[in-house]
This record gives sequence, C-alpha cells and structure tokens, in this order.
Amino acid sequence: MEPAEFRLVIPSQTRYLNLVTGLAKRASLVAGLDDATAAKVSIAVDEAVTNVIIHAYHGEGEHSVELELRFTEQALEIHILHSGQGIRGDQVVLPDPKEYIKHPRKGGLGLLLMSRFMDEVRFKADEASGRNECCLIKKLD
Amino acid sequence: MADLSIAVRQAGDVAVLLPAGFINAHTVREFEEALEGLVKDGRYTILLNCKNLNYISSAGLGAIMGLIETVREHQGDILLSDLQPNVFAIFDTLGFTQLYRVFGDEDQALAAVTPERKG
Repeated sequence: MEPAEFRLVIPSQTRYLNLVTGLAKRASLVAGLDDATAAKVSIAVDEAVTNVIIHAYHGEGEHSVELELRFTEQALEIHILHSGQGIRGDQVVLPDPKEYIKHPRKGGLGLLLMSRFMDEVRFKADEASGRNECCLIKKLD
Repeated sequence: MADLSIAVRQAGDVAVLLPAGFINAHTVREFEEALEGLVKDGRYTILLNCKNLNYISSAGLGAIMGLIETVREHQGDILLSDLQPNVFAIFDTLGFTQLYRVFGDEDQALAAVTPERKG
C-alpha cells in the first residue's frame, strides 16, 4: 500500500493552534496510536507550530505554516514547513530538566516536550530555497 | 466555545483557579493575567484545580514557572489537583511533579495547606 499523505496550510497565527492539535490527535488515532500517545503527538505538534509562529516568524501573522501528514506502515510523520527563520538540527540544545527545576524560568521547554513525546524530531534549514522544516515522527508499534 | 475560560474562588486562605479548556500560546496571556492578578492581590497560595483543563503546552508551564519563586518568597505556593492523564504526563515528563505538590483532588490539596482541615 502506498503511503497516504495530505497537507494543511494555516496562517501563522496562534488562534489556529487548537485546530492543528485537534487534527494531529485525530490523525494519530487514524494511524492506529492509542489515546494517550495521540495526546502526546498533539502536544508535540502544538510546540512545533508555536515555535514557527513565535520564533521563525517572530509573531507576524501574515505568513503561512504548512503541515504535511504522512501515514506509512511504520510511522506517522508530521512535517511542518515554513519560510521563516530556520534552525538546523545541530543548533538545537535541549534544556536539562534537572537544571531547569533548580533554576526555574520561562521558556525552553517546548523542544524538550517534542523530543520526549516523539520518536524522532528533525530540523532542516535550506538556505538556498528559504524553506525550512521540522519533522516529527511517531513509530507505530 | 472559547478555547479557555477561567474561574476563581477563595477557599479559606487558598485561591482556587479553575482553568477550563486549552492553555496554549494563544490563550496563555489570559491564564498568566489570572495568576498575576492573584499575586498582585497578595493571594500567594494558589491551587490550580485542573479537572476541566484538557491541555497545557509549554507556554502555560512557563506562566506557572514565572511565578513560583514569587509566591514562595511570600510563604505561599502553587498547588495542582485533579490533573487529567495527559496533563499529568506533561508535568511528569518534565520532572515538574518534583517541583509542585500534586494532589488527587481539591479537598486533599486544601487539607494539606489548611491546618484545621487536616484529620
């Protein structure tokens, strides 16, 4: 069976986060994941899309965020594409939860949640095309 | 339906905050303002009753983290109760259950911080 995929494009506005997380949760259930895992996938997607809106687009609402969902026999893949400020995988530094608890502060936890709740989190920044991507993968057991 | 609604009531010396819905980057300012309003009024012991909270992202966690030191400096605290499994998973995954006192329900939380309710 060929992998199935479809795309959703939303404006870079936080008002659409609830729509996106709802979609991610339903997509996870369609892929065969259980309720608890689907909730975690939806949180990871919220964090990834929020990062794009707030950090890549600096809160500017007139841009687009593209979500591509791919259903394969092995995994659910959610690709989040944008043309804002990109980051490469080697630029990502995850906070240490133990240090975070010793020195509480705002921010810095989104990436950690994404990495804990997904099996793989990949970032790609294509300077030539200006297209950037965050890829979230949840394997199907 | 709104993404988030917040009710506040007083139970003795404890301010009980009941967020209902979703706390994410879109709604976090409303949540933050509710917390900040309590602190501004000198209500430093705050119970977050999360029975109607479906979801909290790192934006919401940041709002709580941003006030924890302030309330504790005033001999207060931020307590959590009635966490739904996915909300508990977020706190627990990040190790926050070591930082906050988490209770099964509101009565247990109030009993823990209100001496006359103990026993």
